[in-house]
Amino acid sequence: MKLLVMLTGAIALAQDWTSYGKNPLGWRYSELDQINTKTVARLAPQWMYQTNVPGKNETTPLVFDGMMYVTGPSNNAWALDAMSGRPIWSYKKAPPASVSLCCGQVNRGFAVRGSTLFKVDLQGTLVALDAKSGTVLWESTLEDYKKGYSATSAPLVVKNLVVTGMAGAEYGTRGFIDAYDADTGKRVWRVFTVAEEGWPGDTWKRGGGSTWITGTYDPSLNLIYWGTGNPGPDMNGDDRRGDNLYTCSLLAIDADTGKIKWHFQFTPHDLHDWDAIGDPVLADLVIDGRAVKAVIQANRNGFFYALDRTNGKVLLSKAYTKITWADGIDGEGRPIVIAGQDPTEEGQRTCPGMGGGHNWQATAFSPMTGLYYFTSTERCMLFYKTKQEFVEGQWYQASTIGRAEPGNGRIDAIDPKTGKLAWYFETVSSPTGGMLATAGGLVFAGDAEGYLIALDARTGKALWRFQTGGTIIAPPISYALNGRQYIAVAAGQTMITFSLPK
Amino acid sequence: MRFTLIALMAGVCYAQDGRFTFRILCAPCHGIHAEGGRGPDLTLGTFSAGDQDADLFRVISRGVPGTEMAGYSGRVTDEEIRRLVAYIRSVAHSNNEIKGNAAAGETIFWNKGGCGACHRVGTKGSSLGPDLTRVGRQRSTAYLRDSILKPDADITSGYATVTVVTHEGKKIVGVERNFDNFSAQFVDLSGKYYSFQKEDVTSMTREPRSLMPAIYGRLLNETEVNDLLAYLSSLRGTR
Repeated sequence: MKLLVMLTGAIALAQDWTSYGKNPLGWRYSELDQINTKTVARLAPQWMYQTNVPGKNETTPLVFDGMMYVTGPSNNAWALDAMSGRPIWSYKKAPPASVSLCCGQVNRGFAVRGSTLFKVDLQGTLVALDAKSGTVLWESTLEDYKKGYSATSAPLVVKNLVVTGMAGAEYGTRGFIDAYDADTGKRVWRVFTVAEEGWPGDTWKRGGGSTWITGTYDPSLNLIYWGTGNPGPDMNGDDRRGDNLYTCSLLAIDADTGKIKWHFQFTPHDLHDWDAIGDPVLADLVIDGRAVKAVIQANRNGFFYALDRTNGKVLLSKAYTKITWADGIDGEGRPIVIAGQDPTEEGQRTCPGMGGGHNWQATAFSPMTGLYYFTSTERCMLFYKTKQEFVEGQWYQASTIGRAEPGNGRIDAIDPKTGKLAWYFETVSSPTGGMLATAGGLVFAGDAEGYLIALDARTGKALWRFQTGGTIIAPPISYALNGRQYIAVAAGQTMITFSLPK
Repeated sequence: MRFTLIALMAGVCYAQDGRFTFRILCAPCHGIHAEGGRGPDLTLGTFSAGDQDADLFRVISRGVPGTEMAGYSGRVTDEEIRRLVAYIRSVAHSNNEIKGNAAAGETIFWNKGGCGACHRVGTKGSSLGPDLTRVGRQRSTAYLRDSILKPDADITSGYATVTVVTHEGKKIVGVERNFDNFSAQFVDLSGKYYSFQKEDVTSMTREPRSLMPAIYGRLLNETEVNDLLAYLSSLRGTR
């Protein structure tokens, strides 16, 4: 079995999957190659675990020591035997009835350090569990859920810290990223994603900037990269003039101190809900003949970006979907905004729509092909602003959107060195699932109609698919056990694994 | 009822306040002018869950289990829900004057119009096109008029036109039952059911157009169209 020396300093086997993005750089690339372009046609289901919990499954399962750790909707989690799918322990904590959530009672996965698992619960708490038994070791509250705060994303373990984001920008909250001591649950640092300066009056107190997708970490620079969400109120900027830093931005944070080393704002004064929450993927690239440490992201605003991750300077930007709001990105990284695209009382149609070109769904980077894989949508939308008084803990948007126009989607493969599209796989609906890339020369993704699909990572040709019977929102993962490679994904309310026949 | 009294006394301003809240919470599904969309048209003045203000209050507050209608009691105050009810009352019937005769429209539906060849009302008719048993609750008359005269104006989700060309060059057209990245299931105008995998055919496409013929502007005069609209608007299903 091949060994991969993980950049955190710990040693993890290629057969395991031990963090949200597989490695700290957020690649979602499995070094396993038993399932490859030649063998994938024989890929077949091995086991299914039915959670019987309704809701959207967005989890990235973790696999190590022969166990699979799965989080589910409504504060549920399970430890499953990774070979048989049989349940070993389960965790449940009923969320308070009044917890405020924009987008369902979802959870995106565990983090692990040693034999301790970490997950957030919807009511804005961070929980440590013993991986062997599921026993709760400690629990810390991020912020009071009655004020609109919640939590849905997988934490990120960095050295002795458990780093987590929050959700709630739709409820007049002020975003932050927290780091907790992995052993005690005591908060070590907090970085607010809404600066006190530059906002009119006290509007920064409810300035939004949720941090609802897990960041990445570069051990050589000791920097954590984390995207921030929309400003609040969402699509109405009348009361929040200015750029609204650090919303719709990427932050580079010193892992030891929690200080912001640099920031890059993709969409200053956002009026279209374009959270900067695509996975910040860390890749070393050669751009224009120069070797650079880059961070890449397909942003919701419709542009693909490569930034220098040492200083936050823009290296490259390129539209990957239809855009009507900007003429491009200038040398400083600022969009060249087209006038007349702001939401109005009677509605202004803008492309991309509220969900953006690419939303939050997990992306993948393959060092084998050098390509960056993500799902995207071609869709425009009517944006309306309206009036709303702020009441603590309540839905605070002062804006809305029109009826969704029909839109189809794609799985895109972009060369991050140029921003050029290498190939695409057209889908009949807007994409729902995330990506996995493997050393078998494959990329996997689930779709809205329930297919798990394997594509040739170099050409985008569909080589295999399986109808799971439930919409796939979660990204697939891969692991190996007893010499067999598995692909696993949450579909509908079911966890399913696939392998080659013995 | 207390709610009714409050709404009546507060009058237009109250409804206006409700309008702002409506646009934020309700418009994404019910339309910016409450004309419906993913959720039912709310300008009709009759509602699935009951027609009293207290019924509307209950539905907004608690939601409708088994549907996408969420409960808003945790998100907004009772006072705001009352404003929403006042607003919904204020928009009811604004564009829904029905001039026709429903009984005459029923005759047209089943005879001259031939609508039952594709549409079902209760246990009668065909299930090729959308079921119209409750369409009077689901769609405004303006929408229904458009649907009769311009069938392609808005396609109900799941009723697009699917075209498959087989390797033998045969072209088969029908109404979508499913259409995904790898397969299509559909029913042709004779009611025959088809299922194909993408790799087994030459092409497989879905278009946002209706197989309903755009002939009713010529086939029916204005009185007959109004009669048909009156009949369709009267279709409220069973509670």
